Amino acid sequence: MVRLLVEPFESPFMARALVEALLLGVVGAVVSVFVVLRRLAFVSDALTHTVFPGVVIGYLVAETDGIVWGALAFAVLSAVLLTLLAVNARVTEDATLAILLTGFFAVGVILVSRRSSYTADLTAFLFGRILTVDRQQIILTAVIGAVVLLTLALLGKELVLRAFDPDGAAARGYRVLALDLALNLVVALVVVASVRAVGTVLVIALLVVPGAAARLLSDRLAVIVVLAAAIGALGGWLGLAASYEASVNHGLRLASGATVVLALVALYAVAAAVGAVRSSGRLAFASGGLSSERAP
Amino acid sequence: MSAEPYVEALLVGALCGVVGVHVVLRRLSFFTMAMTHATFPGVVLAAIVGIDLLLGSGLFGVLVVLGVTWLSSRPRSDPSAAVGVVLSAGFALGVALLSAQAGFTRDLSAYLVGSILTVRTGDLVKTAVVLAVVLAVLAAVGKELVLGAFDRGGLVALGYPARRLDLLLLLLIELTVVTSVPAVGTILAVALVVAPAATARLWCDRVGPMTAVAAGVGMASGLVGLAVSQVAAVAAGAAIVLAACGFFVVSVLVAPRHGALARFRARPAAAPAGVA
Amino acid sequence: MDESERTALRFEHASLAYGRARVVEEVDGVVRAGESVALIGPNGSGKSTLLKAVLGLVAVVGGRIEVLGRVPARARRDVAYVPQADTLDAEFPVTAGQVVLMGRYREIGWIRRPGAGDRRIAAAALDAVGLADRAGERFGTLSGGQRQRVLLARAIAQQPRLLLLDEPFNGVDAVSQEALLSALASLGAAGAAVVISTHDLALAHLACDEVCLLNRHQVAFGPTAATLTPELLRAAYGGQALVTDGVVVAH
Repeated sequence: MVRLLVEPFESPFMARALVEALLLGVVGAVVSVFVVLRRLAFVSDALTHTVFPGVVIGYLVAETDGIVWGALAFAVLSAVLLTLLAVNARVTEDATLAILLTGFFAVGVILVSRRSSYTADLTAFLFGRILTVDRQQIILTAVIGAVVLLTLALLGKELVLRAFDPDGAAARGYRVLALDLALNLVVALVVVASVRAVGTVLVIALLVVPGAAARLLSDRLAVIVVLAAAIGALGGWLGLAASYEASVNHGLRLASGATVVLALVALYAVAAAVGAVRSSGRLAFASGGLSSERAP
Repeated sequence: MSAEPYVEALLVGALCGVVGVHVVLRRLSFFTMAMTHATFPGVVLAAIVGIDLLLGSGLFGVLVVLGVTWLSSRPRSDPSAAVGVVLSAGFALGVALLSAQAGFTRDLSAYLVGSILTVRTGDLVKTAVVLAVVLAVLAAVGKELVLGAFDRGGLVALGYPARRLDLLLLLLIELTVVTSVPAVGTILAVALVVAPAATARLWCDRVGPMTAVAAGVGMASGLVGLAVSQVAAVAAGAAIVLAACGFFVVSVLVAPRHGALARFRARPAAAPAGVA
Repeated sequence: MDESERTALRFEHASLAYGRARVVEEVDGVVRAGESVALIGPNGSGKSTLLKAVLGLVAVVGGRIEVLGRVPARARRDVAYVPQADTLDAEFPVTAGQVVLMGRYREIGWIRRPGAGDRRIAAAALDAVGLADRAGERFGTLSGGQRQRVLLARAIAQQPRLLLLDEPFNGVDAVSQEALLSALASLGAAGAAVVISTHDLALAHLACDEVCLLNRHQVAFGPTAATLTPELLRAAYGGQALVTDGVVVAH
């Protein structure tokens, strides 16, 4: 069993893929805690789609090296747009969000469809190619990851206050819109970092599943963040190992990005089961009369 | 180009429009998005097993709907996170299954952006049947669904089985999604469901007219999009979506009473000094 | 103390608007340091709006509001707002102690972490509302009244000169009510001014020196006993105001 987890990564390209997966897993997972707390799953999903035309344009201009820069430009633009959108709506915000993201995505598809190698390019943009990650990409991922984690560390307490009590934050003089923009930009950066390795479609899993799973396991924010990071990293590791195992020992080609996501979802299922046991245990304890949680 | 794509565009446009009204009223856009992704494994499994794709994805979709409903009903679980997990899981499963087959990228692309241009009479018949079924169901329980959207407590108080009606609507959405995705693709099917209805919402205050306008805009988007895709040689599904988004954006600006221009003109004179 | 230091809050013909619509008209009155005012009126009368205007979050389109001698937006450091506890997410993974510590964030400033001094102040604030032993428990597991007390403690931790409370006694049990009143009295004794919006006339009599009766415009602003008369209450609540157990049940 242990061999299964270590052996795949003896070759350099798999080792690089692992490092990339671990980096993205941890950074994405920490951000996912905020995504879950702020209920930003849909906004994050929207960001992964609005970035797509940027990816295509970047590729059209500068081949694979241009992807990240195109993604970055559109990510920032989208984060600003989405933040402003949340300000008011007659048509509900979620409908406008859906229209925005599909509109952007359609533009990306149109740009891609004008090239003849249409389908292969589309797949690469959307699902990434983690197995072809090089050192330069890893460094870029690490840099973006550092910026993201630093931002969250510096703004953490204000972001939590805003998530918990937006009115209270406004009353204290915090600009809620600016804080929201900061978080949206952080999410956008994770999308940009992931775009070449995991692609735009599967990154939503990194941005939601670890945080959702960790939330089921703990009520303490600090613990949730650590658990999420662990789950994110573990998902990357298990997913890559599974993809390798299937390919080498069973002749089954399974896309690595997909197996990483499935590993994360499996961990979520485990967390859900553990969480259910936890809360039923607590209920049994409380109803046993030893302590009442609601005594005034 | 032959007539089939145009007929399919009309049928799918109408179908998505009428169901879209309920999606917009109940803020189910993210759910619809998740459905487009999570039904993907159903398509792949159907292809592997050899049954009709629509049937396979439809059946698989029912499982997904039940799964999302159950997950959302658990305590301490945030519905949008649950939807996010289901969306990720479903799509990754589909990609994994598909990648094990040959022809990976071609099939995946067809799923993502649709292939309305290669639609055949058989597909048209299926779409027409689904449209008929959906219209029949909405004719039967449309009023109750609308009441449930605005005042769920009231619906329950009147003795209606609110949860079952909710589930029925989710299944209608699922049916619409699996029918439309082959035509315009996953992510784009969401646009056809949401945009015409959102557009109609800007022009109409009552559900009846809103439904008619949504169907109309859906159909118009299909026709305009197809025409543009022929002329400009771009992906048809994407062109249809952009047409739908275009109608929406124009309406946001010019719709009487609710459009931006109208609201701008209606505002009172600027307030005097004294703002802190 | 000179006049401006003693006056915590001054309304001069203040009228407020939300976007296009005027919501509150012609509020006049003064709240001095150490005083408490009850804001009383039916739902929709503009009480919450008035509190938000004191925080500088709602436009003053006529007259003016002066908070601690300054324009509302500039006085926020010294003004604390206590929302209704049930507006907050009970599932949020935060402890009572962490919520109270949030009251120190503005003092701590951006980027820096809470220090020992901040933690001491937060602990003292939680103690002032009688919940020192609950600091480690998740906010959402406390009762409604306890959560309201935690939010008051958060405001106390801010060490404000003016406190604004939005219907703090709604659905609060007797023990928590007692704790809230006691903490508010201590704050008043220490020189803070307090504005409480409420429907509870008995509490207004108990805890507040003055009353502002509001129904989109000011009906009256004066000493509690003199202002809470049946006629004025009827004028504020527009019609037959029924008073049951000291709480106004309006028509």
